[in-house]
Amino acid sequence: MTPSEKTATMAHATRVPWLTLRRKEAFEAWLFVSPTLIGFIIFFLGPLIAVGLYSLTEWNLLSQESTFVGVENFRDALTVNPDFWLVVRNSALFALGLVPMNMALALTLALALSRPFFGVVFFRTIFFAPVITSAVAWAIVWKFLLQGEAGAVNQLLASIGIDGPNWLREPDWAMFAVIVTRVIKMVGLNMILYIAALQAIPRDYEQAAQLEGASRWQIFHMVIWPLLAPTTLIIMVITTIGSFKVFDHIYLMTGGGPENGTLVLAYYIYQQGFEFFNVGYASALAIIMFVIVLALTIVQLILRQKGSG
Amino acid sequence: MSLSQKQLQLIKRILWTVSLLIVAVPFVFPFLWMVSSGFKNAAEIFGQPSLFPAVWRWQNFLDVFDHQPFAQQYFNSLYISAAVTVITLVISSLAGYALARLRFAGSALLMLFLISALMVPEEVTIIPNFFLIRWMGLMDTHMPLILLPVFGAHGVMATFLMRQYFVALPKELEEAGKMDGLSRVGIWWKIAIPMSRPALAAVAIITFLHSWNLFLEPLVFLSSLEKFTLPLALSNFTDAYGLPLWHLQLAATTLAVIPILGVYLIAQRQIIESFAMSGVKG
Amino acid sequence: MTSLALSNLAKSFGPVKVIRDIDLTIEDGEFVVFVGPSGCGKSTLLRMIAGLEDITSGDLMIGERRMNEVSASKRGVAMVFQSYALYPHLTVRRNMGFGLKVRKMPATDIKQRVDDASATLKLDALMDRYPRELSGGQRQRVAIGRAIVGNPDVFLFDEPLSNLDAELRVHMRAEISALHGRLGNTMIYVTHDQIEAMTLADRIVVLRDGRIEQVGTPRELYARPANVFVAQFIGSPKMNVCAAGSLATQLEGVDFDLKAATQIGIRPEHLKIVPPDDGLLQGRVIVSEYTGAGSLLHIEVEGAGTFLVVQEGQAGAEKGERIGLSFSSENMHLFDGSDFAI
Repeated sequence: MTPSEKTATMAHATRVPWLTLRRKEAFEAWLFVSPTLIGFIIFFLGPLIAVGLYSLTEWNLLSQESTFVGVENFRDALTVNPDFWLVVRNSALFALGLVPMNMALALTLALALSRPFFGVVFFRTIFFAPVITSAVAWAIVWKFLLQGEAGAVNQLLASIGIDGPNWLREPDWAMFAVIVTRVIKMVGLNMILYIAALQAIPRDYEQAAQLEGASRWQIFHMVIWPLLAPTTLIIMVITTIGSFKVFDHIYLMTGGGPENGTLVLAYYIYQQGFEFFNVGYASALAIIMFVIVLALTIVQLILRQKGSG
Repeated sequence: MSLSQKQLQLIKRILWTVSLLIVAVPFVFPFLWMVSSGFKNAAEIFGQPSLFPAVWRWQNFLDVFDHQPFAQQYFNSLYISAAVTVITLVISSLAGYALARLRFAGSALLMLFLISALMVPEEVTIIPNFFLIRWMGLMDTHMPLILLPVFGAHGVMATFLMRQYFVALPKELEEAGKMDGLSRVGIWWKIAIPMSRPALAAVAIITFLHSWNLFLEPLVFLSSLEKFTLPLALSNFTDAYGLPLWHLQLAATTLAVIPILGVYLIAQRQIIESFAMSGVKG
Repeated sequence: MTSLALSNLAKSFGPVKVIRDIDLTIEDGEFVVFVGPSGCGKSTLLRMIAGLEDITSGDLMIGERRMNEVSASKRGVAMVFQSYALYPHLTVRRNMGFGLKVRKMPATDIKQRVDDASATLKLDALMDRYPRELSGGQRQRVAIGRAIVGNPDVFLFDEPLSNLDAELRVHMRAEISALHGRLGNTMIYVTHDQIEAMTLADRIVVLRDGRIEQVGTPRELYARPANVFVAQFIGSPKMNVCAAGSLATQLEGVDFDLKAATQIGIRPEHLKIVPPDDGLLQGRVIVSEYTGAGSLLHIEVEGAGTFLVVQEGQAGAEKGERIGLSFSSENMHLFDGSDFAI
């Protein structure tokens, strides 16, 4: 036996403890994540499974009875209930109106405010202020401003000879109004994300392009915009998902009206669940919303993979 | 007459600033209108609009407190937001630390799990959570308003923000702490936490505002006036016929918004950076 | 009495073996340097001893105790990190006393120990500063001070000088050497710089791909490298190695015994420039680099490739010049087909 073999056997004889450093680390890790994990299971994962199960039942809270009906609720939504497709149309309109308007404005503001100049902080502060303001306060004030005759917006328009509509009482105008006011509320967030991305672009690129005689538009179009692509993608997905989540804004400004003209998915779920107590049907709607959001997230991940690959 | 390069620059600059000012109108106007209308009486509110009230009616701000237990509601919002913020800071930095630094079987799976929660709107799980909270006997209490944000998508976002920050910290400092005899909790508390102030501040700011502005959960879980939080209270200024009492509602809204706005104006850089750091919201 | 014994020590990350079958004994008070190219596993091995990386298999004994599953702070070791790892939110004084405070030592004792260490390292004027207010060399000293106060059995240094500029590095090297002389503790030092290894070590451990290539005193490694890798890693500029066959004809007739060697190595400093016809080898200068004290010549030797030669003095062969090279047989290293020394 060589000396080293001897120490080895001796050492093995001096027992290897069960709680190795490796196991201790894993144990501590689970301890650290346990509050988050347990809460996550109880208040997120469990409910997510539950809502899937509810969606397969006919369950009205008033009758206190639930019966298994399979995919009946989904069939009901997709083929029977005319409200559903109206809601889908409204949600799509809301997203299609909000996302491009929000992003275009955000990028424009970011381009204007990404370089220091006198007053830049002032403008950034102003454009971001609505983001930190409660959606309820924002909706209340705008509802007030957008009243038919007496509203400040229409009075303002009247002063320049325009006869403004009764914004929140006419279906098409109501959708337009909730989109625009939502954009004003949230555009600051995308603006600062774009500003951060713009500031991360090394100025060398721009200067190199300048030396090659590129115009400002060419620089933006051929240098800045491609470099912003990853940010644009993320902002687009976040904003789209965000547009599906909008509840308080619409609840307070229009209550889904007029004539269900602004009834969007998030509000429809609330209405079915907590106003009409159709638990099963509302849960099916929630699952549909979940699938939409999941699909958007996956699309984003795939696009991002492609972009980096 | 030709302009010099410098004059041209100046004119451009002025045009830019003027156009930015015009764009800024719908961002600022609602705040100004909110404050001024909060001072008007019911009649003037529907009269010819003017930025300044004919008579400054301070009485509105006192009437707010008669109409609802507004002070109590204000306090509710404050303490709930503070509780949510403190709890979120503790548990998200613990979990974020473990996900950033500790090796354990299942950490990748756990990450995937949590990521999947990040985007899911609370509307999806609000119905089962309603039954869960009712089963727990917590209806019309503030517990759901604390539990749901802490453990929902928002808490997950905070955990990720913390994790990202911890991952970027130099590892050697924590190893030095280990050599110095710190326990795992000691390393977290005495080294990782003190070095993560920017991330903690960001989580605190975003979490506080998230909780402060929460609406769906209070709407679903609260029924007594004295339990209401501010957003719910604000939406509740109607007369006996359900018509809005605009002057009171706007006075109350002013009271709710101005302090936050004041803090924002003082700490705007920090607050804006916090949102830039999170990158996920809205 | 603190010796270390590493037996069959191994570590893998999944299927990748980063440390394989390390057997090594380190005596009490010895200054041992782990040296090797980057990625050879030297830092990992040090961190396994420190307790910062876990050990996949084998045994680590410090003193009489098996340390595999003992936590880092209870192994009686202290470490100086490459980045110094000073806590940015604590002053120098509190950085140095931190470990003692964690171990619940009374404040007066902590003060005593910290003051002693600061006197030893001439840190007195810096005690109330924060790390960001210190220069690189000062941070380095504080890092060493922090290691000293704990009065460890074994000091571990992980490339401590790599972030310093050249001049300071030479200075700190001497300080560390003096510190070892004064404290007499066992020290293990990791570096990729073979000069540091040669100047500091009692014994050098040369590592490659997670394996020990050779262990020995600096002189042993220089004079009798165990294989081509060590031969070329130790010594600067590195040893010339060429196929034995290519020199066979030239060395024919001279009384050099090539044994069964397939490769021959000669250090650049052992080759002497002679007139073309007097040399054992003939070649042509292709590059001549003047270094001040002498010149470094790149010489194309017919049939055997490029040789590096250190030429002392100001003479300096010209580019293109034909020259002869001679050397004595005791400076010739012989290696077999598997790179091992004969």
